[in-house]
Amino acid sequence: MAQEDISFTDFIASSIHDMKNSVNMQVSALEKIAVQCRAKGDTPTFESLGLIIYEANRMNANLIQLLSLYKFGESIYPMDIAEQSIADVIEEALLQNRSIMDFKGISVLIDCDVNCHWYIDRDLVTGILINALNNAYLYTSDKIRVAATIEDGFLELRIEDNGQGYPQSMLQNGAVSANKGVNFSSGSTGLGFHFAARAARMHKNGAHQGSLIIENGGAYGGGCFVVRLP
Amino acid sequence: MTDHLKQANILVIDDFQGMRTMLRDLVRSMGVTKVETAANGKDALALLRTNSYDIVLCDYNLGTGQNGQQLLEEARLSGYIGVSTIWVIVTAEKTTDMVMGAAEVKPDDYLLKPINQALLEKRLGKLIPRKIALSGIETAIKAQDYLAAIAQCDQQLKNQPLNPHEILRIKSELLLTVGNYEAAKELFESVLADRSVPWAKTGLGKILFHTEAYASAKEIFQQVLEENRMYMEASDWLAKTLAALGEVEQAEQVLLDAVKLSPNSAVRQKFLADTAYKNGSLDVAQAAFEKAIKVNEFSSRKNPAVYAGLAKVFSDKDSPQEALKILDRSKKEFKDNPEAALQTAAAESAVYNKLGQAEKAEAAMAGAEQLLEKLAGKVSYEVAMEMANALFKLGKKDQACDLLRNVVKNNHENTEISGQVEALFESEQLGEEGRSLVRESRQEVVDINNQGVMLAKSGEFQEGAKLLRQALENLPTNEVILMNLCGLLIGLMSKEGKNDALATEARELLDRVRELNPANKKCHDYASVLAHIMSAR
Repeated sequence: MAQEDISFTDFIASSIHDMKNSVNMQVSALEKIAVQCRAKGDTPTFESLGLIIYEANRMNANLIQLLSLYKFGESIYPMDIAEQSIADVIEEALLQNRSIMDFKGISVLIDCDVNCHWYIDRDLVTGILINALNNAYLYTSDKIRVAATIEDGFLELRIEDNGQGYPQSMLQNGAVSANKGVNFSSGSTGLGFHFAARAARMHKNGAHQGSLIIENGGAYGGGCFVVRLP
Repeated sequence: MTDHLKQANILVIDDFQGMRTMLRDLVRSMGVTKVETAANGKDALALLRTNSYDIVLCDYNLGTGQNGQQLLEEARLSGYIGVSTIWVIVTAEKTTDMVMGAAEVKPDDYLLKPINQALLEKRLGKLIPRKIALSGIETAIKAQDYLAAIAQCDQQLKNQPLNPHEILRIKSELLLTVGNYEAAKELFESVLADRSVPWAKTGLGKILFHTEAYASAKEIFQQVLEENRMYMEASDWLAKTLAALGEVEQAEQVLLDAVKLSPNSAVRQKFLADTAYKNGSLDVAQAAFEKAIKVNEFSSRKNPAVYAGLAKVFSDKDSPQEALKILDRSKKEFKDNPEAALQTAAAESAVYNKLGQAEKAEAAMAGAEQLLEKLAGKVSYEVAMEMANALFKLGKKDQACDLLRNVVKNNHENTEISGQVEALFESEQLGEEGRSLVRESRQEVVDINNQGVMLAKSGEFQEGAKLLRQALENLPTNEVILMNLCGLLIGLMSKEGKNDALATEARELLDRVRELNPANKKCHDYASVLAHIMSAR
């Protein structure tokens, strides 16, 4: 294949793949060092490593989202809809943020029946949840609630916080219009919303399709990130 | 549950020393004491062959050699691990092979890197009780007692298991194996009533295929792929269905699309290569045969037909030297396998013939004939046809006809095989002769069977059995005769009482049928009738 034949997106995708592997190696190495620090009783280093590992995991999550979006676009994402325990999926997503939540003194309440099972692509929904939790982490005061219910043939996942809620400009269309360009000053790329909305829409059952909306209110009166999956 | 984890036998497979140690330390810190490690597929298979593991943690990327998915497939298909072994793939991302392949070669779970202890412990904690529940089913499957396995599934389903779909899916596979299409259909439909699940929909398509409703099967498989184009099992079945419908060009296209999405299945590559070769797409056939060889480079499940096929492609492309090179490689790969050697020798003879080297062609054929004698004619129909093809090329038409007559007689109810025999005659400009050979050979076997059945009906079981035993000497792989003889022996015992020698003979017949066609429905019925007779006082 001639060099010019490689499309730019393919190039980016393979680079993301490579970057993701690097980040994975870093995380593994850092975790090893963190364990050693804890064993030696070096708490300050252990804690700063915790922050670094969190950021590395966040980068990894972003890269995974980019790669997934690329695969959606090429129609090569191996969508794997299977019956999953929703409580387990929520718990696993939380596991990745738990230490940082504790660090900032945020309490996370899970409101999900242990018998709540639904048909989802586990990796996509985990990605959506991690996203929503990261977002809530940034904007909440000190509380986050993750709730799951099944109603009218849809699984509804709500991630609510007790922060100030979304600005009115973001709520205008009801459905999330995340693709409003990158805001470099706030570091908000819109990637998270865009990914979550696409991933939700990848879930289909008969004529129904998944969706993502954001609103204000909920149990704590702050921002609510609501995903409905058929 | 945690005790189960602590007592588990665990195998960790990773090519990186660092990851291997990390994974081993992870499971050790969960209290597991029995952990072994392997650095590559070869070492892992050696361990899996001799030891029994409860849990295998395997990295997807294992450097050169097989990847984690291919390793799982080989371990499963070689019977080194059963359905109750937990196989977890550790990977940077999930791949199509991992989630979209056939159920029997899917890992039980995959963990996306980076993994940590809490996540691993949680996942294993979920998988262990699921698998414990499956061990009864596995024992029955291993003993080939499929009806008992189905009963086990029903028992499990009654107890409201954590994983109803997994058990339903296993049950559906078993129902298809024993040919109980009605019950399988009901199962699939009840699952589909809730939502369109690809395995259940594909299952419905399989039933339609087995009952020769190819047009409807095609429609179903296409629907599955419209809903989920990555569902490889459906695309394999769609290709099969299209081939059965004679829509060979479309079959080739479906397979081409499938290998683009999921290139690492040697079986699929061979299917594509065979289909493309028949369609005259030599370039596609060559690429697919070559890929099939490459995919299985480090596997013990290499297939000599792939090498012979590639040689044929080269020969047709007027590159006989390349063809001979491939056949030389085949000789080395299969030096302890007489049937493979026979296939290679026959292919070699055809290539030399094309090169105009009559002496070498004769010599290769002489070798093939010797091997055929040694194997007492018990070769697969594909090998026999390869040989007949070479015999035609040498002008040994009578011998070719003898071989092909036997192919038809051994498979007299199989229209696909007789179609291939007719096509071979056609390519030698002997179409008419081929059709009458097929017709007569079929009739001959039909007559023998009818006679046997008539004798049985009039109560002359001994006479009938004698006739069919004789027929089997020349047609050792004819499924219908094997089954009819078994039926006669059962009839004889129900009339004259049980008899150990006859029961042994009947069981051997059933074993032979099972080997030829695991999906033979009657086989399972006969096995249970036989067991019933022998357990009676």
